[in-house]
Amino acid sequence: MLEARSLTKRYGDALALDTLDLTVPPGEVFCLLGPNGAGKTTTVNLFLGFTQPSAGQALVCGVDSAKDPHRARSRLAYIPETVTLYPSLSGLENLLYFSRLGDGLHRSDRDGLALLAQAGLDGERALKPVAGYSKGMRQKVGIAVALARNVGALLLDEPTSGLDPRAANEFAGSVEGLRSRGVAVLMVTHDLFLARQCAQRIGIMQRGRLATVMDAHSVDHLGLEQAYLAASEEVAV
Amino acid sequence: MSAVIDSLAARPPSQGGAVRAIANKEWLELRRHPRGRLLAWLISTLLLVSLLGGVLHHERAHQERDAAQQGDHEMWNSQGAKDPHGAAHFGQWAFKPPSLLGLADPGVDAYSGGAVWMEAHKRNDAQFRSARDSGVAARLGGLSLAFVLQVVLPLVIIVLGFDAVSGERERGTLRQLMAHGLPATTLVAGKALAMLRALAYLLVPLLLAMVVAAAVMAEPAERGDAVLRALTWVTAHGIYLAGFVALTMCLSSAAPSSRAALVLLLGLWLAATFFAPRLATEVSHAAVPLPSAQQFKRQIADGRAKGFGHDETHPGYLAFRDEVLKQYGVQRVEDLPVNMRGLALKRDDEIGYALYDDLFGKLNHQFDEQDRFRAWPGIAFPLLALQPVSMALAGTDRHHHAHFADAAEAHRRVIQTATSEDLIRNQKYGDTSYRANQDLWKSVPAFDYHPPSAAWALRQAALPLALTLLWATFCGGAAALAARRLRVVG
Repeated sequence: MLEARSLTKRYGDALALDTLDLTVPPGEVFCLLGPNGAGKTTTVNLFLGFTQPSAGQALVCGVDSAKDPHRARSRLAYIPETVTLYPSLSGLENLLYFSRLGDGLHRSDRDGLALLAQAGLDGERALKPVAGYSKGMRQKVGIAVALARNVGALLLDEPTSGLDPRAANEFAGSVEGLRSRGVAVLMVTHDLFLARQCAQRIGIMQRGRLATVMDAHSVDHLGLEQAYLAASEEVAV
Repeated sequence: MSAVIDSLAARPPSQGGAVRAIANKEWLELRRHPRGRLLAWLISTLLLVSLLGGVLHHERAHQERDAAQQGDHEMWNSQGAKDPHGAAHFGQWAFKPPSLLGLADPGVDAYSGGAVWMEAHKRNDAQFRSARDSGVAARLGGLSLAFVLQVVLPLVIIVLGFDAVSGERERGTLRQLMAHGLPATTLVAGKALAMLRALAYLLVPLLLAMVVAAAVMAEPAERGDAVLRALTWVTAHGIYLAGFVALTMCLSSAAPSSRAALVLLLGLWLAATFFAPRLATEVSHAAVPLPSAQQFKRQIADGRAKGFGHDETHPGYLAFRDEVLKQYGVQRVEDLPVNMRGLALKRDDEIGYALYDDLFGKLNHQFDEQDRFRAWPGIAFPLLALQPVSMALAGTDRHHHAHFADAAEAHRRVIQTATSEDLIRNQKYGDTSYRANQDLWKSVPAFDYHPPSAAWALRQAALPLALTLLWATFCGGAAALAARRLRVVG
């Protein structure tokens, strides 16, 4: 579970996040939409414990990210906009490395290949150096690492940015797989299609505040787009 | 379901396991990277060439020295019948045996000279300074093991490691790694372990080669000491290089970018390797000025003027003669039961010994002061601290040279005493035809120099060794601090 309690972040006089209250229970995908500078990435950074809140708490499976960031991080997986890997290592070697750092387990090559296959990367490609991977293939390795971690929460920061529609669709399938295992997923994105495809709830952020929360199944694409554009225009004005 | 997942994730990885995993990954990348492979070959070749060059040079120097020392002794023994004091003026040569670990660090040997002419009345400087006989190229420095380990390897560490942490930040992998709950200290420790492992792959074979060389090439009686010196020499360099690994990790973690880390590290390397040693030398010379060679010779000449040499009109001689006559209860020199000339030569030598002990003692004390001045900045510029340690363990520093020079002086005194006492015992008053024979020459033992022990060498280098350790520890602490302060988001 992911929980923000009156979570606030100031950078000097600028209010990046304003008393965010949000709960993502196990088995739910919550999408955060909003224009640039709305506070989405700040929210992710606060859950990761990469930055200290000015007020409030960011809890990962009950662990305060500010007070015990290492323990909080050990309970979540994170996939950034671009999964960066070590180019001279294969996808499998990258997976085994990151997953071992995450949970300390030695996985066999067979287990690693199975995880990569589950994320949509076939065995032949998994054994090739990552230097030749497309962005979609690297994101799949990121998904496989998240699968391997077996954690209670997943943070996604614009994970399909730059992916072609097919790769984005495959990615959405993987996220659904994690959700169905009971993982609480918080996804930051600009992709309205992906938000409706993956999420149970969608929140729109504006000037550091969670302006609107919608049920993803009860809002149509047009309604979501209008709400998103309205938030963006207000910021632009 | 969620409770099960939460419990599964509650176990963070062990730090030791994570450090090893990072080190293994780094090692794998290093092996696959052309930069790593190229540097490995380059350094291995440099070490091998410098080690072989050192061994060949040592063997040649050893043979030349043994032949020269033996030839000189035979020449001494084969002198015909002659006046004993004439033989004292004929003198002997003391040839310095090349230090076994001089193959690793030639130190000051090329500048301090390898042979001392031991003659009557004079304590001579060492001669045959190979640097003086070499061309301009010799001034650029030879390719010694010490040069590779002290100058080249730190540069290699910098080139391999400057972006170890900053590169992770710039590529975005740092964010992912830390998002896994990995403490930054673990990441930096893993990176450092990988570099230390790479160093170990170079240093352990080198250590084995040096130990084998020490065991095979050293005299049986000095074998244990040579092995101990080799072990300590490599260990001291290991500490120095580990300090550079820590420094590289520190700046790679603390610098805002890889480029900044590289510039800072190269600046420090240049300062530590080229600027600081020269500056420290100049400052030490200014702080503790030495007499010029001319001034020192003048001091000796002034002191010697208080003695009487062969001058039987010198007031000192006359006073000594009266003292001897009184001691033996006679009125005339010709009534003495011993030879006055021999007694006077012996007394004059003894006056000279005290003078030399005083002047050379003061000079050595000034050198010690200069060394201390030069060593202290080693806390910040480690080459200043390591070099004296390296030369001391290699047996090629000023202390070892002074030890040899003192041994040569002691042997010179044995020759003087033997020849003067022969005169005292055997020459009759006014008998200018007295000649000693080979029995006297052979009664003078051959110059048999034994270099000091490794423990003695370590005592001479205690301060710089402590400074090297302190610097490396400081770098380790700074790296740990920089790792703790590492932030993904500013």
